[in-house]
Amino acid sequence: MTIELRKLTKRYGTLTAVDAIDLDVDDGEVLCLLGPSGCGKTTTLRMIAGLEFASEGDVLLGGKRVNGLAPRVRNVAMSFQFYALYPSITVAENLAYPLHADKLSKTEIAERVARVSKTLQLDGILNRTPSQLAEGEKQRVAVGRSIIRDPNCFLFDEPLSRLDVQLREEMRGEIKSVLQDLSRPTVIVTHDQLEALTMADRIAVMRDGRIEQVDTPHNIFQHPTNLFVAGFIGTPQMNLVPATLTSAQEDGVAEFSVEGGQNLKIQVDRRICELSAGARVTLGIRPRNLEISHEAVEDGLSTKIDMVEPMGAETLAHLYDGKHDLRVVTDWRVPLTEGEQVHTRFLPGTTLVFTEDEQVLRS
Amino acid sequence: MTDHTGTRRGFGAWLMDPKRRGALLVTPAIVILFVMNIFPLLWSFGLSFFNYKATSQRVPTFKGLSNYEKVLTDERTWERFQTTALIVSSSVILQLIVGFLLALLFAKAFPMRRIVLMLVLTPMMLSFVSVGVFFKLFYEPTFGIVSYVLNFFTTEHFVMLATPAGAIAGIVIADAWMWSPFVMLLVLAGLVSVPKYLYEAAEVDRASKWRTFWTITFPYIKSLLLLAVLFRTIETFKLFDIVYIITEGGPGSATETIAVFLYRNAFQFFKTSHSSALAYIVLFIVIVLTNLYLYSVNRRAEEVD
Amino acid sequence: MARKYREVGKAGWGYTALTTVVGFIYFFPVFWIILTAFKTRTDALAVPPKLFFTPTLDNFYSVFFRTSITTGNSQATDMGLYFFNSIFIAFTAVGFAVIVGTLAAYAFSRYPLRGNDTYLFIILTTRMMPPIVVIIPIFLMFRISGLAGSYWGIMLLYTAFNIPFSVWLVKSFFDELNPEIEDAARMDGSTERRVFFGFCIPQILAGLAATFVFGLILTWNEFLFALLLTGVDTRTVPVAMARTLGGEVGVDYGLLAAIVTLFLIPIFFVTFLLQNQLLRGVTFGTVKK
Repeated sequence: MTIELRKLTKRYGTLTAVDAIDLDVDDGEVLCLLGPSGCGKTTTLRMIAGLEFASEGDVLLGGKRVNGLAPRVRNVAMSFQFYALYPSITVAENLAYPLHADKLSKTEIAERVARVSKTLQLDGILNRTPSQLAEGEKQRVAVGRSIIRDPNCFLFDEPLSRLDVQLREEMRGEIKSVLQDLSRPTVIVTHDQLEALTMADRIAVMRDGRIEQVDTPHNIFQHPTNLFVAGFIGTPQMNLVPATLTSAQEDGVAEFSVEGGQNLKIQVDRRICELSAGARVTLGIRPRNLEISHEAVEDGLSTKIDMVEPMGAETLAHLYDGKHDLRVVTDWRVPLTEGEQVHTRFLPGTTLVFTEDEQVLRS
Repeated sequence: MTDHTGTRRGFGAWLMDPKRRGALLVTPAIVILFVMNIFPLLWSFGLSFFNYKATSQRVPTFKGLSNYEKVLTDERTWERFQTTALIVSSSVILQLIVGFLLALLFAKAFPMRRIVLMLVLTPMMLSFVSVGVFFKLFYEPTFGIVSYVLNFFTTEHFVMLATPAGAIAGIVIADAWMWSPFVMLLVLAGLVSVPKYLYEAAEVDRASKWRTFWTITFPYIKSLLLLAVLFRTIETFKLFDIVYIITEGGPGSATETIAVFLYRNAFQFFKTSHSSALAYIVLFIVIVLTNLYLYSVNRRAEEVD
Repeated sequence: MARKYREVGKAGWGYTALTTVVGFIYFFPVFWIILTAFKTRTDALAVPPKLFFTPTLDNFYSVFFRTSITTGNSQATDMGLYFFNSIFIAFTAVGFAVIVGTLAAYAFSRYPLRGNDTYLFIILTTRMMPPIVVIIPIFLMFRISGLAGSYWGIMLLYTAFNIPFSVWLVKSFFDELNPEIEDAARMDGSTERRVFFGFCIPQILAGLAATFVFGLILTWNEFLFALLLTGVDTRTVPVAMARTLGGEVGVDYGLLAAIVTLFLIPIFFVTFLLQNQLLRGVTFGTVKK
């Protein structure tokens, strides 16, 4: 069983919510649709479920075109953002709800409910109604209700968004282990990158109805293909510094003139020499790839420490080079004083160069 | 604007004290209600212990509870209560069924809904007298449209209001027609309060229409259905105008509701004290029902929160 | 297998057609009365009932004028007076009731006193109880005080009749306002009077209008009080209609239908404009949505 989206498009009047998306999800694969709110990720999920119909393009489940089919015919399992637990019936009845259509025997239903409630530790609350449950429990019931049957695919809409931070961390692990046992394509919609990075086999980053990049969590983080993905993934956010190329060598060592006048000589991707001097670029570097030094360096900028935010094991420092704010994460033992003048070194080979069309240079 | 509390003295200052502002604002309403409702009720409560007749000049004498005793032992009272109960229950049930079906029909959003809805809502806004006139015209044995239609099915000439059963049916139909939209509005309120995602979840879970209704829709409307039943029971209990216009309680006393019975006793036979006692018994029933109604209103308010 | 699925709760023009048919069946009695209003007396009494006929405005004319048989001149009927009475009495009484009710509603909503709920309950009960219960003593009261048959009497009674309804309905609108804004205004030095007139009233103006209109409809539809307590000069339309119905010469349904049709016009407007407030109106504000 697979999910395939072909040029999938959804328009509401003049607004294009989803714009010609192509995507494949394999059997047993977990794909996260990640993006800011309003990027079309939930609409995409609802089109896979059949709760909304595509304006153009196709949805294929197991190679079969399902475009006009009702959700019940598509045989998909979905967990909703607000859990959508049926308020008048107990947890056990909620879990058994999707099984009635399969005309299973009472014992078979009871067995499946028992199995799922064991997996998700729902044994103690089977006889309660949804209003008597804590948020985390509701969430588990919602997940349980979708994994209790054997559908063509699993769909999760913002599964953890309603939980508090601690519970979210706990549930993330729990859901991940549940998902690993599923042998069906799974799509998770989330706006939380940590959720996507931890749970997904692959992530599709969306913006304004388009998919910006589809890749493994590692690659999305290490090798963003464009400025949007680079800026969206990773906390604290990647530093993005506008600069002008001064000169570049064959081996990828290049000199830039950073906005504000300082010069910077660093090792970047070798394709930098395809650009001519004077080209306007954006340099991207993650806060953990910057190093604070007290001596002037060639591959760094001279900055002032603007603000220091201790984060426990690490410290987040905001540096100011007279034009831009740079975020640096250092070990907590590095002594930093606000107002102090320091030099910020760009660790070799960690800086990404984005050309004027916002695409990354990568060989 | 000046501050009232600081400068004035005496009664004015006492009256304008912010502590009494709430009471002050309520006063006009309470006074009018007292004069036009509470005081008359107390008066008739007093009268119910005497043998007063509004048409007679005799000085009334104290009779204790004998009026209540007479009313409660009078077979006619119980007959009228039975008639009322029959009309109330059949009308309310009919309203529930029709109102519920109408609500299901109008629960969806569709083009021109607001205008089409007016066709159904209008009866509720009419006066009882108008509705009485409508149905009296329809039931008219010679040129009434109901008689005309019924003549297709039966060869014998059918005079609807001439038989007790027909007359009761006639009144129930008129009242239910008028007030089914009320039930529809309440049920609609329940239907729109159901979150859409529950229906979507049921669709994804492949639940049958029947199951979807009982697990999702019904729980959301059941408290409002109870409100509808209580409210309509209280209101139908007062049924006077329609009966007065369509049948005047006839044939015989077949459709004489408790309100019409009271009206007859008080203003045709002028048994003032006797009818005051009966009025108090009716009032007691309505107070109980109103209490039940408010209890359900509050319970639903908690549910919605 | 391919069953068409529609987005939950939405339907198209086909559905409009279906509901229109059902709605029209439901509306048929009203429609029939409107037809009757345009029929001649012969058409109105025709067997079988006529659906197609030549419409006439005679009935509307004869609501207000009658042609004298002897002289051929047209004279005004009393019905014009009854229309005036209905409207005048309703406007005055409801207007007064809404003002008094609004003050009380504000107090009940903003200055919760001990025993508030009891007062509110008593107020609602006076509205819920059958009018026949209270009318026996009121009839005596009016007879003694001489208020029977006067405008004052019936207006006072209708004011009282509308107060419970106004209090509950207006209170439901006040309850929806955010009192924090009022407190903020007080902190900024607004007097109580300014808070009330400057903040609260403007926000519930639509609600007050709705209350007023519902009161009007309830009042000019009222029958029993009017039947017993109005005189020849103060008679209202429902009473006049009922008297026409009891006439000896045979009922002039065309005339009655014309009166009903005239009263339908404001009702259509109200039902259309206040559709969203209708539920609240008919339950006296106890059920909002």
